[in-house]
Amino acid sequence: MLGLGADRLRADMNRLLALLFHQGVLDEQFLQLQQLQDESSPNFVSEVVNIYFHESEKLLRNLRALLLDTELSDYKKMGIHLNQLMGSSSSIGAKRVRNVCVAFRAASEQNNRAGCLRALELLEHEYCYLKNKLHELFQIEQQRALSAGIRFYAQNQAIAT
Amino acid sequence: MAALQRVAQSSISTTASSYGSCKGAGVTTTTTNTSTKTATSSSAAVASEMVVSDKFPVGLRVLVVDDDTTCLTILEKMLRRCLYHVTTCFQATAALKLLRERKGCFDVVLSDVYMPDMDGYKLLEHVGLEMDLPVIMMSADGSTSAVMRGIRHGACDYLIKPIREEELKNIWQHVVRKKWNENKELENSGSLEDNDRHKQVNDDAEYTSSVNEGTEGSLKCQKKRSNSKEEDDGELENDDPSSSKKPRVVWSVELHQQFVSAVNQLGLDKAVPKRILELMNVPGLTRENVASHLQKFRLYLKRISGVAQQQTGISSAFCGSVEPNVKLGSLGRFDIQALAASGQIPPQTLAALHAELLGRPTGNLVPALDQPTLLHATLQGPKRGPVEHSVPFGQPLVKCQTNISKHFPPSILPVEDVSSGFGAWPSNSLGTVGSSINLGGLSTQNSNTLMDILQQQQQKQLQTQQLSVLSESSRSINVQPSCLVVPQTSPGFQLGNSPASVNQNCSFNRNTVIDYSILSSQSSDSAVNVGQISNGDIKATGILSGYSTPASCSSLSSCSLNATTSATHQSSTVTFGDARRFPGLVSNTSNIQGSYDAKPGEVLDQGPLKNLGFVGKGTCIPSRFAVDEFESSPSNMNQGKVNLEKNGNTVKQEPNMDFLDNAKIGVPILRQYSSNELMSVFTE
Repeated sequence: MLGLGADRLRADMNRLLALLFHQGVLDEQFLQLQQLQDESSPNFVSEVVNIYFHESEKLLRNLRALLLDTELSDYKKMGIHLNQLMGSSSSIGAKRVRNVCVAFRAASEQNNRAGCLRALELLEHEYCYLKNKLHELFQIEQQRALSAGIRFYAQNQAIAT
Repeated sequence: MAALQRVAQSSISTTASSYGSCKGAGVTTTTTNTSTKTATSSSAAVASEMVVSDKFPVGLRVLVVDDDTTCLTILEKMLRRCLYHVTTCFQATAALKLLRERKGCFDVVLSDVYMPDMDGYKLLEHVGLEMDLPVIMMSADGSTSAVMRGIRHGACDYLIKPIREEELKNIWQHVVRKKWNENKELENSGSLEDNDRHKQVNDDAEYTSSVNEGTEGSLKCQKKRSNSKEEDDGELENDDPSSSKKPRVVWSVELHQQFVSAVNQLGLDKAVPKRILELMNVPGLTRENVASHLQKFRLYLKRISGVAQQQTGISSAFCGSVEPNVKLGSLGRFDIQALAASGQIPPQTLAALHAELLGRPTGNLVPALDQPTLLHATLQGPKRGPVEHSVPFGQPLVKCQTNISKHFPPSILPVEDVSSGFGAWPSNSLGTVGSSINLGGLSTQNSNTLMDILQQQQQKQLQTQQLSVLSESSRSINVQPSCLVVPQTSPGFQLGNSPASVNQNCSFNRNTVIDYSILSSQSSDSAVNVGQISNGDIKATGILSGYSTPASCSSLSSCSLNATTSATHQSSTVTFGDARRFPGLVSNTSNIQGSYDAKPGEVLDQGPLKNLGFVGKGTCIPSRFAVDEFESSPSNMNQGKVNLEKNGNTVKQEPNMDFLDNAKIGVPILRQYSSNELMSVFTE
């Protein structure tokens, strides 16, 4: 019964991943990331993604501040932030966030304030979507690990008795 | 792990054997198997502690610098899975500090381009200048301009984020390639493979271009600049490769000369880009160009003195060991026969030694020379190292034996080494000695061969001690030209602006000794030089002879430089000879001057020496210092040199006249030169 649950959870995970891939939210870099997860660091993906969220939120806040606070926005600084966000997003395979960053940076290079604002909103939207979906994914993953653990435990119990 | 152990050890390459042995590093990597990819994902479970393995790419010491923690984490993980030894750093300044503190403890640097505290390119520049490590840039920005900038600053690779594990598995190639190139250069085989050449070009992109284009190149460049009137600093533009070169300012020798003389005129402290620009009065040159060059120049000067300081420790250590020997020398004399008897010196060498010793004029005793003079002498000279080495030998006869004795024992190398050094000399070289004597007709010949040997030994020592620095030394050849003559501003010295004699003669045969030209400049100086060429593996001894002219109370040291060009462009070694002369000082001795010959570009006789890069890029050199250009270049460099000396003074001054000390110090400087050259050719 519990084993069935684990399988179903795994299927859920795969379905969710497939959806995200299909939507272009994630790309194969995310799979690379998953491959990096091994016995020596069993939670590698979620650890990295959490770092990413942490950093990205800082960057997004900065970007928003740069765009809104001053009339004359510091586009150069913005470009640097965007570059970093681009780098980290592409490193975890957040394809759509990265793409928006590219557009954002293009707008900032042209000192296109309106374009920047639009891009920022899109970016925040994409970011939230990614964050939600990844959280969902990790939750399923956690449950699956839990149920797998329980199944393992149950098997052991069965053997013992 | 089993998979790792299975890796065949068949192909152990010498390239790699020099790789990775760093003083402090816990990781010892001595064996290379380039054909294997040991880092497979299946072995990923192996903990990083187990990285200590002798399978080559494993344990490669990588420093990763990225301000983005996400990337840093991922990269670290990926690199660990490649079984590299990873150090991470999220600040460029911290990374630089780390690199400086732990010199030689990293094999390759991976650096992000955009970092808040320091531009990745800046870091790259520093690393290139100071440690000569392969640097791989990474950025999400894959635009051509960004990549081009990286290449221009000397990055050996540019990875576009996201970085995949496959790309990282391969980065050891840059380490090997670098080493390999260095070795290649040393061997001077002249037949570079395409790959190799390509890399070399990459490495030296900055100076090769300027060098090859020589004067007209810079002129062209200036014209272009004046046409385009851009006020950029050459880095901001993003055009395609072909056009991106044009606006660059090529700091040709002439240009650098102008620069240096302007700086001298103003005084180093007061030199500001604007004033320098005015003084230089070069059309098309912008303030930014000058500023950037000035910055590099300053950095270089600083670095020179810094390194010299570092080295002092070592040298003093040497000195300690020397002293007993000195006594020995003063008591009796260095017993060549004894050495010979013990079989350390082949009879021929012995004969040569005798000849040289006997042939030499008796000269001043050391005491006769006043300290400052000596100091200057040691300070001067393109190649400090060699010069200093030679100093003792160049010393007046009486002392000569003593000196020899000094040198032998002090060299920490076991006697075997000595003998091997001797043995390595082909009998031909002895022949050379003889012939040179004839040619020179002067008795001044120092025991050059001896010097060579000693130098080699010391080089060996240095090599062993400081493997990390080797890479720098490998460029020394390029540097040498730039070191040319050093005028001293001190009263006693005269500025010989152009080397007394520049010999363009080359002897293509290893046996030949070339040229001695004697010039007497205003006050009794003559500088003599010899260019020497070694073919490929064969050791050629260049013999330098210094001729002393009339003794005058002023001491002059002039160095002359020989550029040798090889006809084939292959296997040419350029040797510098500095002839130092100290005219006899008033006190006791009249007439006699010791001549100090320095042969920096020493012949590489021994296998280990090949690692030292004395012979660099034979091909470039000839073209660069074509006969015509030659005249002009020396004076430049002189100026530069003067500055250097000024800066370095504190370090180098030795209250007492311990030549050995100086000699040791000199060696490091020699190495520095490589960078000098880099500096001098900075194009941006």
